[in-house]
Amino acid sequence: MSEIRRRTPLHTRKPLEAPGGAARIAELPFLGKLVLRVDPQAGSKAVEAATGVPLPAEACTATGDADTAILWIGPDEFWVITPRDGETAAAAALEQGLAGLHHQVADIGSYYTAIEIAGPRAREMLMKLTMLDVDARAFSAGQVAGSIFAAAQAYLWQVTGDDQPGGPAFRLFVRRSMADYMWCLLAEAGFEWGMPRQTPVGGETWRLER
Amino acid sequence: MFLITCPYCGTRDQSEFSNAGEAHVARPEKPEDLSDEEWADFVFLRNNPKGLFAERWIHTAGCRRFFNMLRNTATDEILAVYKVGETPPRVSTAEPATPSGEAPIGSGNDAVKVERPEGGE
Ligand SMILES: [Zn+2]
Repeated sequence: MSEIRRRTPLHTRKPLEAPGGAARIAELPFLGKLVLRVDPQAGSKAVEAATGVPLPAEACTATGDADTAILWIGPDEFWVITPRDGETAAAAALEQGLAGLHHQVADIGSYYTAIEIAGPRAREMLMKLTMLDVDARAFSAGQVAGSIFAAAQAYLWQVTGDDQPGGPAFRLFVRRSMADYMWCLLAEAGFEWGMPRQTPVGGETWRLER
Repeated sequence: MFLITCPYCGTRDQSEFSNAGEAHVARPEKPEDLSDEEWADFVFLRNNPKGLFAERWIHTAGCRRFFNMLRNTATDEILAVYKVGETPPRVSTAEPATPSGEAPIGSGNDAVKVERPEGGE
C-alpha cells in the first residue's frame, strides 16, 4: 500500500512575495474550519464555554485571534476557525456544550482552504478582484465578508490591522476546486508590484495588467 | 451597477445577490383540496407588474439569507428592504403614466429609453 498523505488544494504552490515586502500570499494549510448553526441568543454562552471565544455580536465581524476565531457568516451561522488539527476537539466540545439546543456543527476543513494575503499592497490586490468595498475606511481588522472575488465566491477576513509591521493581513477562504484559480489571479493582481505570475493548472491565461 | 442593502450585512454590490421571484406567495395550507387550476396558479403564475413590486432576494455570496424588497420594476428604484416575516413598509413611487409608457424618472432599461430635447418633439 502506498503511504497515505494529506494534501492541501494548493500543495503545488509555494508562497509568493513581491519585492520589498509590498505584498505576499501563502496558503495556510489544514486550518480547522467548522460551520456552526445556532441561534446566537440561545447558544452564545455554551459556545464561549466550549471554544473560549465569544460569538460575534455584530454582523460581518470576527472574535478571537488569528489562531482560534469565530467568524460571523449569517445571522444564525458562524465559522469556527481552529489551529491545524484542532477541529475535531473543537467540534466535540461544541456538540457537548450545545447538546439539547437546536444546532448543527459541520466540519468543512477540506472543502475550503485559506489563502493569506498580506502586506501594504494587499488591499489593492483584493480591490482588483472584488466589488466589495475593501478600502481601509470600510473594511478593517476584525471584519468578515462573503463576496465574489474574480468569478468565485469566497469569505474575506481581515486578521490584523493596517498599522501592523509588514502591513495588514487578510485571509481568503475559497472552495478547494477554485483555490488554484484564485491563487493565480491573486498572483496576477500582485504582478504590478513584482509578484511572479503563475500558470494555472488548467493552462488558461488571463491578464489584469497589460 | 446597483447597490443593494442586505438587511443583515448592509450595502453591497448587486453581483452578490440573486432574485428569487415574487414575495408573499403563501403555500396553500391544504394542497390536496385544490383544483388543478388553483395548484397551477400557485406553482406557476406570478404577478409581473410594471411599477411597485414586492419580491424576494437572497444574498447569495454573503450571508445567504432571503429577504424581501420593494422595487419599482420600471425604474429599478429600490424603495425598501425588510426581513422575511416583517410587514412590507408603506412606500410611494412614480408609477408609469400609461400601460406602455415609461415612469417619469429614468427607466432602468437604457436600451429602450427615448430621450427628447427640452421643448422639442
Ligand atoms: Zn447579507
